[in-house]
Amino acid sequence: MMVVFYLAAIAAIVAFAYGCYVQLRKYRRGQSLSLPGVVQGVLAMAGELLSHRNLKRRDRSAGLAHGLIFFGFAMLFVGTATITLEYDILAPITGWRFWYGSFYLWFSLFVDLAGLALIGGLLYMMYRRKWLALPKLDYTRPDRKPDEADFDRSWYRREDWLFLWTLILIGVTGFLLEADRLLWLQDDATVWNYRWWSPVGALLAGLLDGLGVTNAAAESARYVLWWIHGLLAFCFIGILPFTKVKHIFTAMASLSLRHPKPAACLPSTDIEADTIGHRLITDFTWKQLLHLDACTKCGRCHEACPANATGFPLSPRDLVLSLRELANSKLQSRVLPGTEALQAVGDGINQVRHETLWSCRSCAACVEICPVGIEHVPMIVEMRRALVEDGEMDPAVQTALQNVQKRGNSIGENKRRRAAWTKKLDFEIKDARKEVVEVLWFVGDYASFDPRYQKVAQTFARILRASGVDFGILYEAEMTAGNDVRRVGEEGLFEYVAEANIETLSACEFETIVTTDPHSFNTLKNEYPDLGGEFNVVHATQMLERMLVEDRIPLRRKLERRVTYHDSCHLGRLNQEYGAPREVLSSIGVDIVEMPRNYCNSFCCGAGGGRIWTPDPLEMEKPAENRMREAALIEDIDAFVVNCPKCMNMFEDAVKSTGNDDRLEVVEVIELVAACMDLEPVATVTEAAIEAEQEQ
Amino acid sequence: MKILVPVKQVGVLDEDFELRDDGRDVDPDYLEHELNEWDDYAWEEALRLREEYGDDVEIIPLTVGPEEAEDGLRKCLAKGGERGIRVWDSAMEDSDPMAISRVIASVAEREQVDMVFAGTLASDHGFAQTGVSVAGRLGWPQAAVVSNLEYQPGASTAQLRRELEGGLEEVMTIQCPAVLTIQLGINEPRYASLRGIKQAKAKPIEELSHTDLGLSDDQVGVAGSASRVRRMYVPEKGQAELIEGTSAEQAQRIAEIIKQMQGEA
Repeated sequence: MMVVFYLAAIAAIVAFAYGCYVQLRKYRRGQSLSLPGVVQGVLAMAGELLSHRNLKRRDRSAGLAHGLIFFGFAMLFVGTATITLEYDILAPITGWRFWYGSFYLWFSLFVDLAGLALIGGLLYMMYRRKWLALPKLDYTRPDRKPDEADFDRSWYRREDWLFLWTLILIGVTGFLLEADRLLWLQDDATVWNYRWWSPVGALLAGLLDGLGVTNAAAESARYVLWWIHGLLAFCFIGILPFTKVKHIFTAMASLSLRHPKPAACLPSTDIEADTIGHRLITDFTWKQLLHLDACTKCGRCHEACPANATGFPLSPRDLVLSLRELANSKLQSRVLPGTEALQAVGDGINQVRHETLWSCRSCAACVEICPVGIEHVPMIVEMRRALVEDGEMDPAVQTALQNVQKRGNSIGENKRRRAAWTKKLDFEIKDARKEVVEVLWFVGDYASFDPRYQKVAQTFARILRASGVDFGILYEAEMTAGNDVRRVGEEGLFEYVAEANIETLSACEFETIVTTDPHSFNTLKNEYPDLGGEFNVVHATQMLERMLVEDRIPLRRKLERRVTYHDSCHLGRLNQEYGAPREVLSSIGVDIVEMPRNYCNSFCCGAGGGRIWTPDPLEMEKPAENRMREAALIEDIDAFVVNCPKCMNMFEDAVKSTGNDDRLEVVEVIELVAACMDLEPVATVTEAAIEAEQEQ
Repeated sequence: MKILVPVKQVGVLDEDFELRDDGRDVDPDYLEHELNEWDDYAWEEALRLREEYGDDVEIIPLTVGPEEAEDGLRKCLAKGGERGIRVWDSAMEDSDPMAISRVIASVAEREQVDMVFAGTLASDHGFAQTGVSVAGRLGWPQAAVVSNLEYQPGASTAQLRRELEGGLEEVMTIQCPAVLTIQLGINEPRYASLRGIKQAKAKPIEELSHTDLGLSDDQVGVAGSASRVRRMYVPEKGQAELIEGTSAEQAQRIAEIIKQMQGEA
C-alpha cells in the first residue's frame, strides 16, 4: 500500500513540476525586462501578505476570510512539511526524531486551530458565492455580447467551487482522520488522555462516539479516510499550476515585482525600434504574463472601474482574463504558433477589442485596488501604442494629436495665443524665459485655453501676486506637458513635446515648478526625469497649503461653506496627495462632507487617458454624471470642489446635465481661497481695451 | 502598377495676419503649413489599394514645392509607400495650376503611372484646377469630386461615385488610366504618428527640377502660367453685435434691430 501511496505522491510532484515548467516556458516567451529593486519588492510583498491590507480594503469580510484560509493553509503546510521532514528525510537518514513530547502536543494544537481557520474561511467564501450573489462574482463580461463565443465564463464559477470543495474536503477529512484515530486508540491512555491538545479532533471523536462508532469501525474507516485525504491533497498539488490555485505562487511573485508607480510613470520604450507597443501576446513582458496569471478574478477592479460602472465595454478584470486565456491557449503549447494566432488586439476570441482599449480613462482605480499587484494601465497603453502606430483611433483623438503635432496644444489654438488669458490681469506676469523667478508656473493646455478654467488661472495669478510670490510663466514656449498624449499611446509625440518642454525649462532659472493641472503635475514630476528633466514640481494645492501654514496668504475672512471635495485621479491615486487640498479647504473654514467614494476610491470624472478628447455617446451615463449624482445625494452642501482643469470641464457639464446646477456650484480649491482674500474684481482691464490692444 | 498622388503643403492662416509688402499674398511669417486635407484622403485611397492588392501596387506621393514642402511627403510616407518625389527650383515660383499641372503630368509620364489620385482642391487657394488639368495634359479621362471608388489595380475601368451639387450623386464608369480628384469623406484617413513621420525620413525622396523633366523655362513659373495674382486683400467686415441679457431683453433688442433695418429700407 505504501508503495502505491508514494507512487501517487511522485505522480503529483511530477505533474506539479511539469506544470511549473509549462508556466515558466510561457513566461519566457514574453519580452525580457530588467528589474531593479527586487529586494524591496519582496519585502513589500511580505508586508502585504502578513497584513492582508489590500485584501481587506472595500471587502473586509472577504479579506478576513482570506486571511483565515491563508494563515490556516500556511500553518498546515508547514505542519505537514515538518512531518515529511522528520518521517521521510531526517529519520531514515540520521535517525533523529523530534516529533514527540510537548513539541508534539503544541504542534497538534496549532495545526488543529489552523485547520479550523482554514475551514471557517472556506465556509465564508462558499456562503459568499452561494448566498450573497455578488455581481462581481458572476463573471458577466461587459466587453462581449451573450451570443459571442467567448462570453461564457461559467467555467470560472465551476473552477471557484472546485477549488473551495477540494480544499474544504482536505480539511474535513483531515479532522475526521484525527477523530477517527482518537476513537481507534481510545484505550491507549497516551493518546486518549491528551486528546484535548487536538480540540477539534476530540470534539469530533466525542460526537462520533455518541453516534455509536466503535473502535473496530474506526479502524476500518481509517484507511478509506486516509486515502481520500491523501489523494485529494495530491490532486491539489498536481492541478496547482493549471488552475487558480497557482495564485499561491503567482500572486506573491506579482506583488514582489510591482512597480512603485505603475500608472503614474508609464513604461518608456525605444521609439526608434522597428515596432512599438504590444500587438502580439508575445510582445508582453514576462512580468506582465506573470501578472495575468496572478489574477484571482476577485472583481475589485471590476467594481472600481469608472468605464465599467457607466456601461462602457471595459472591465479591467476581463481584459486581464482575456489576455490570460490567450496566453494559456497559445503560449503553453510545445511549439509557439505563428504571428496570426498570437494577435492580442482584435475582435477574435480572447482578443482585446479596440473599443475596450479606448474606454480606459487611465484613472488607475484598477491598479490601486488590485490585491495581487496587476498593472492594467501600462498594458492598456502598450496596446494603444500599437493602435496609434497603425493610425487606428477615434477621429477626435486624431484631431487632438494632430493639433499637438502642429501647434503644441491639444485644443488646436494658435501657439501665440497661449498666454492670452493673462491679458485680463491688471499686472504683467514675468516671462520666466527672460527673468529669474522663484516659482515657474507650468500653466498647461486647459488652464491656458478652456474659457472656464482660464478664470481659475487668472485667480491663481492674483493669489500669487497678492501673496508676494516671485513667479513667471513660459508664454508661448510652453507646450502641452504630454500626459494625455502619452496615455493615448502616442509615445513619439510625447517624447517630442516632453523634450521640447525640458529644453525650454532647462534654459530658465527657477526653484520650483507649480501647476494647477494634476495631469501636467504627474507627467512633469514622474515622467520627465526619465527624459532628463529633473525638476522640483508641486501642485497648486500643495503650494497653497504650505503658504497657508506659513501665513503668507493675506486672508481677510473665513468661508462658512459646506462642500464636497472630489479627488482627481492624477493628484490622488496616481500621486497619493489627498491631504493638501483638504488642509487648504479646512484652513479657510470650509466644511468638507465626503462623498461615499473618496480618497483612493474616488470615482474618475471620465476625462483621463485622452478621453477628454472623445465625446462620450449621448445615450450613456457619463462617469462625471455618475459622480455628480453621488454628490447630489449629500444634503446641505452648495459646492462640488475640484482641483483639476479636466475635472472642472467634465463636472461643469455634468452638474447641468444632471439638473443640479441650481444647488451645486462646481468650484476650484483656488477660487475658494481667493474668495477669502477679497481680491479686486478681475476685469480691471475691459474686453474692449484688450481688443484695442490686439488691433494695434 | 503605379499610382501617383500629387499633394500640397497648404498655408493655414492665423487669426491675425498681415499681407506681404507687395500686397499679392499673405506675409509668410503668418502662415503655418500643413498637408492639404483633400490630399490626405487621396493618399489614404491609394494606401488602401496597396494594402488590399499587395506590393504590385506602387504608390508615390509627389509635391511641387520648396524644401519645406517635404514635410507633406513625410507625412504621407509615414503611413506607407516607399519613396516620394519633390519637384522645385527657383524658376517655378508663382506657378499657377496650369504650370503646376504641366509639372505633374511630366512626372506621370516619366514614371509611367497608371492612375493619378489628386485632392479635389487645395484649402488655401481653392482653384480645384490642378488635378483636372493634369488629365487634360495627359489626355486621360478624369472624374472630379470622387466620393466612392471601386477599382482593381490594372483593370481597364473603375466604378465610382461623384458628388454633385444639391446632394445628388453620380455613378459612373471611367476608362483607365484616369485622373481622379478625391473628395473628403471617401474614407477615414489614418493618423500618422510622430514616430512614423520620423522613420519616414529614411525613405528616399527624389528631388527634380523642371529641366530634369524636360520642361523649358517658359513652361513653368509666371511664364508658364495662365493667370497671375494682382492683389490680395481682406474684404470689409460686415457688422456684428453680440446680444446679451435675458431672453426677453435679447428678443427686444432683435425687434429693435429689425425695425431699424426696415426703417432704413
